[in-house]
Amino acid sequence: MSDQLTTDPSKPAQRMRAGSMTLTLMPWIIAAIALILMPFIFTSNSALTIMNQMWITVIFALAYNMLLGQGGMLSFGHAVYAGVGGFACMHIMNMSDLFASFPLPVLPIFGGLFGMGLAMIVGAFSTRNAGTVFAMISLGVGELIAACSVIIVAFFGGEEGISGDRTYAMPFFSNEFLQQIDVYYLTSFWVILAAALMYLWSRTPVGRMANAVRDNPERAEFLGYSARWVRFYSFVASGFFAGIAGGLFAINYEILTEENLNTASSGVILLVTFLGGVGFFFGPIIGAIVFTLVQTVLSLQTELWAFYAGSLFVATVMFFPGGLAGLLMMHVPVFKLGNAKQLIQPYIKTLLPAAIGILGVCALVEMTFHFRHASIGDDEMTLFWTTFDIHTLLPWLIAGAVALIGIGIAKRNAPELKEAWDAANTAGDAS
Amino acid sequence: MSTPALELSGLKKSFGKAEIIRGINLSIGKSERHAIIGPNGAGKSTLFNLITARFMPTAGSVKLHGEDLRGLQPYQINRKGLSRSFQITNIFPAMTVFENVRCALLWSQGYKYSFWNLVNRSRQLTEGADAILDQINLLGRRDLPAGTLSYAEQRALEIGITIAGGADVIMLDEPTAGMSHSETDYITDLIMKVTEGKTLIMVEHDMGVVFGLADRISVLVYGEIIATGKPEDVRGDPRVQEAYLGAALEAEH
Repeated sequence: MSDQLTTDPSKPAQRMRAGSMTLTLMPWIIAAIALILMPFIFTSNSALTIMNQMWITVIFALAYNMLLGQGGMLSFGHAVYAGVGGFACMHIMNMSDLFASFPLPVLPIFGGLFGMGLAMIVGAFSTRNAGTVFAMISLGVGELIAACSVIIVAFFGGEEGISGDRTYAMPFFSNEFLQQIDVYYLTSFWVILAAALMYLWSRTPVGRMANAVRDNPERAEFLGYSARWVRFYSFVASGFFAGIAGGLFAINYEILTEENLNTASSGVILLVTFLGGVGFFFGPIIGAIVFTLVQTVLSLQTELWAFYAGSLFVATVMFFPGGLAGLLMMHVPVFKLGNAKQLIQPYIKTLLPAAIGILGVCALVEMTFHFRHASIGDDEMTLFWTTFDIHTLLPWLIAGAVALIGIGIAKRNAPELKEAWDAANTAGDAS
Repeated sequence: MSTPALELSGLKKSFGKAEIIRGINLSIGKSERHAIIGPNGAGKSTLFNLITARFMPTAGSVKLHGEDLRGLQPYQINRKGLSRSFQITNIFPAMTVFENVRCALLWSQGYKYSFWNLVNRSRQLTEGADAILDQINLLGRRDLPAGTLSYAEQRALEIGITIAGGADVIMLDEPTAGMSHSETDYITDLIMKVTEGKTLIMVEHDMGVVFGLADRISVLVYGEIIATGKPEDVRGDPRVQEAYLGAALEAEH
């Protein structure tokens, strides 16, 4: 086993350099092409809106993961930096002379600078410690600034927030960003740029030391690095990219309110990042895409989308602490051993009944919700393309049976899956 | 006589009313290999922690190359050329072996907190880290997470991290603790090799290692140094024999 993992000791340096460039560039090129092609596949305006929201969340989640995943700092108030960046951009939008002097795609930089400025002030005292102290300070500062939104009305616009008009910027190659598609490409450009910069950051000395300080601050100190300053730089960089996300939000929605600052938004980004997986750079990207889909597409189907999002989050934390990215990366050794095929059948045998069982549970939840909350006399409900009377017994029996049988079969087949998994992870057996 | 590499004068440390270190004067010359021995609870690790500013001394001073270290943080002391290992293995377990060593090289190669350099673009860093790995015989484990190494390998890695930054004063806290005979021999040879021309201060229980490596030995008992000298002199010192015999007798009861 360990022999398999050991590398050729004779020339590791050459091996590392060879092919590393193409290997690292490939995902970025694919991502860029995908971003360009997406609007041709999903052409509706609402799809563009969803994708814009997705890319903004991607930037924000990646920025958040610079703290949580890479720096080991749990923040409960990170929406503040995105929010303040967004508010700053909105004010710039409303300064017509200034705003007319530069093209719109430049605007998020100002959001970044304001986010960074605030992070510098807060980070000066909050990054002295990681762990609980940092988390509590972040929560306190987050609450403080969110409360300021109703006190400093001039900047935050009170309860109704502030709004602006992005089209007043200097035309960018005669484009005034009137159409949703124009904004889409602006956001896409920024998501690639910001993600690439954040990735490169993780490859710099200060980015590497952020990992070192996360794992073992004391050892890092005895290597000549002040844990506190390493944390500070991570925090400031994270504030910068969060501010960029805020600026893009301002451009997209042309309105910012207290909601962009508050603890709920900070909680969401924590949830998104954790769902995707903090251990891998691309984790938050997956988290942002999945969560935005749940938030937008699922919320059209059911009022209970937050319940399902929460359940997904709890299940992830409990069973896959590495998040969705960790779940994916678990399979890399299996593929390397060439045993992936062995897993297909056990996966179908366990996961398909499990999925059906979960749909059964969802049906019960939806029916209970309808039973309790529908107006009197509204007895009919439509679920999975079937319409039925909620006050008869049959639908309940069917949903209950589907849930029980599905989960029952999954449970019965689970040991088989585990066995197959162990076998697939063992070298040599397959050959 | 040139300034000593490390000079302790009147060093004291109390925790509450308990006086753990009761006034230590010790001068360790350049390129000397100095071992600190003593029974359990004598304050050896506390002494280490005082020197490296993990604890603040109650009184007295620590001088590195004649420069007072009072008020400096551990990272500042490290930048002045003093590096240490820990009694309990203290590495970055989630990172690869290679990355552990590379992190240890960053400051000494002048990268500081820079975010405009890419670490894997620097040939100097990669080759420097590989050279250290070669020295500690861990090239074959280069890309494994450090936490998956065997205990002896982790200890070797910690020594590698400790020396990587090019510090000229190396402090090792029980480098062979908990090791088998063959592992101990391996680590002893390794220490011999990597501290060539450097000042070494180590706490050690294994007398074979101590007498094999050290130029001079200090015996620490109840927070005081009762003898300092060449290994053969210390071995013959009646007070040292009493301290060790006393401790051994106590342990029997």
